[in-house]
Amino acid sequence: MTKPFLDVQKISKIFHPGREVQVRALVDISLSFDRGEFVVIHGPSGSGKTTLLNIMGGLDSPTSGMVILDNEKITGVEEKHLSRLRRDHIGFVFQAYNLIPVLTAKENIEYVMQLQGRSRRECEQRSREVAEKLAIAGLLGKLPGEMSGGQQQRVAVARAVASRPKLILADEPTANLDSKSAAGLMGMMQALNEDEGITIIFSSHDPLVIGKAKHSILLKDGEVAADEFPG
Amino acid sequence: MFFKIAVRNIFAYAKRSIITVVLLACTTALLVFASAYMDGSHARLIQSSVEIYPGYVQITHQGFRDNPSLENLIFDAGQVSASLRDFPGIAVFAARFESFVLFSSADKAVGGMFTAIEPEKEMSISRLAASLKQGSYLTSADDALVYMGSELARRLKVGVGDQLAFVGTGADYSFAADNLTVKGIFQTGLFDFDSRASFVAKPYFDRVMAAENYATHFIVQPLRPEEAATLAAAIGRRLGPAFDAASWQQTMAGLVQAMRVDSIFGYITLAIIFIVIFFVVMIYTLLVIYARVREIGILRAVGTTPGQVLSMLLLESVLLGLASVLLGGLIGGALAWYFHIHPIVFSGFEEQFKQYGLALTAMPTDFAPLIIMRDMAIMFVLSVSATLYPIFKVNRFRPIEAIHHV
Repeated sequence: MTKPFLDVQKISKIFHPGREVQVRALVDISLSFDRGEFVVIHGPSGSGKTTLLNIMGGLDSPTSGMVILDNEKITGVEEKHLSRLRRDHIGFVFQAYNLIPVLTAKENIEYVMQLQGRSRRECEQRSREVAEKLAIAGLLGKLPGEMSGGQQQRVAVARAVASRPKLILADEPTANLDSKSAAGLMGMMQALNEDEGITIIFSSHDPLVIGKAKHSILLKDGEVAADEFPG
Repeated sequence: MFFKIAVRNIFAYAKRSIITVVLLACTTALLVFASAYMDGSHARLIQSSVEIYPGYVQITHQGFRDNPSLENLIFDAGQVSASLRDFPGIAVFAARFESFVLFSSADKAVGGMFTAIEPEKEMSISRLAASLKQGSYLTSADDALVYMGSELARRLKVGVGDQLAFVGTGADYSFAADNLTVKGIFQTGLFDFDSRASFVAKPYFDRVMAAENYATHFIVQPLRPEEAATLAAAIGRRLGPAFDAASWQQTMAGLVQAMRVDSIFGYITLAIIFIVIFFVVMIYTLLVIYARVREIGILRAVGTTPGQVLSMLLLESVLLGLASVLLGGLIGGALAWYFHIHPIVFSGFEEQFKQYGLALTAMPTDFAPLIIMRDMAIMFVLSVSATLYPIFKVNRFRPIEAIHHV
């Protein structure tokens, strides 16, 4: 039996442990994902979607449990190692875009590649290629503050994709977009998943977006209520 | 990339950058100017006190400085002169014979210092000739002509061309007396000195005071005044244990002590200012950097290591620090240069200055590029180290905490 690409084993997250009022955000979550999957994690607000994505991406640590990405443990490792792991293997798309404000769209897209030590030529070639796929070639010289929300989110996706990560984690990427922009962005992410074979896991509570996923996980009160493959 | 981000952040947070640069530049300028003023005023103090009369290096017979009596005279001035001739590091030297006499004019009798000098050599050693107020300075050929301080002349109620008599003890303990004519009156500005000092040519003095080939001391003008102590030690070795060669730091130990105390208080004041500035910069940086925690979280989330974030923030701090000290150094240096050329004049404080032995109320600053660079380096280190704690503190956030930090 082959090992899953991303293995989430008995993850629990308790906020304020040891205090009188504890918040159990995740309770014994176990999930597994194969390479190249297009997954949605959905559920009501406060169900633990963001916390789960953060732990899977090494941005946060679980209270207990383990996450293994492509045979590499990403929980319980030191921050420096985790930074390199995120840089080389994981792309993030945040609900609030989170672009680096002082860099242009092109520089934001190239940032992770430059951290990886790629050549200037390779960075430029790849950023142009990704920008064309996401229809943001005309925005490359603009700063985040000069772009609309939808445009910023596409740049954020381009930044996540450009370094060719093994996994992209997107936390409610369409939450701040209008329905047209949201549909467009999802279409583009779907195409990237198919064309580049990148595993994409995103959270959402938008039924239109959820419907696009091939693997759907429903969270309720920090527990897995359903794990389905509708597509 | 990190350099680009650091530079752009400096411009993106322009208000913060301007406040930081202005604060640090003003402090740097203050430090540079304060150092220049302190060093300049000390140099002027030395100049006033040393160059007017006492000189940089003084040679006496062993024991004379503790007991300035006729037993401790230099009894073979010619031999000392021969030893000093061609001595490396000496620009010029001259013999003096200091004694005390009672002057008597038509109206009044006043005690005073009656000193034999070699007038031509003294012109290169002391400021006696340059302090001429009325009449003219002495020459070696002057016989029974006296050059006296303005206050002494005023007390004796004599002017140039007037006659007065003196009575004193010769070098052989004999009774010495003669009539003198006032050739010139000087004013150094040192009140005490001007009210008791008078000078005659040494050949005349030697004859009238039976002091042929005697001297109370020799004064040496070094080629490099700042090396007076080294020169004094070398002369001492050459002349042997019968003589005592002392630099101005030894002959004027009180002045040295006063300057040290002044420097200590000056540096304590500056240190207090620095401590205040250090904490102001640190607290301000902490506030500013906390407003950027989310941005730091983004950088960390996409794979920037804590070390890379640290170096990027440090680079910003270094760039701001460099700009500040360069600007401050330039302003402080320009002020130091200007007041070096155009000394600060403390008009109305003449009496207070006199109490401290200062002849002039004009204080030039010291313009020393190396000292300016030293002060700039101190401020640079101070400015960067003040940002270390805030940088380390924000870098300890986990990425997700940083992104959600409000």
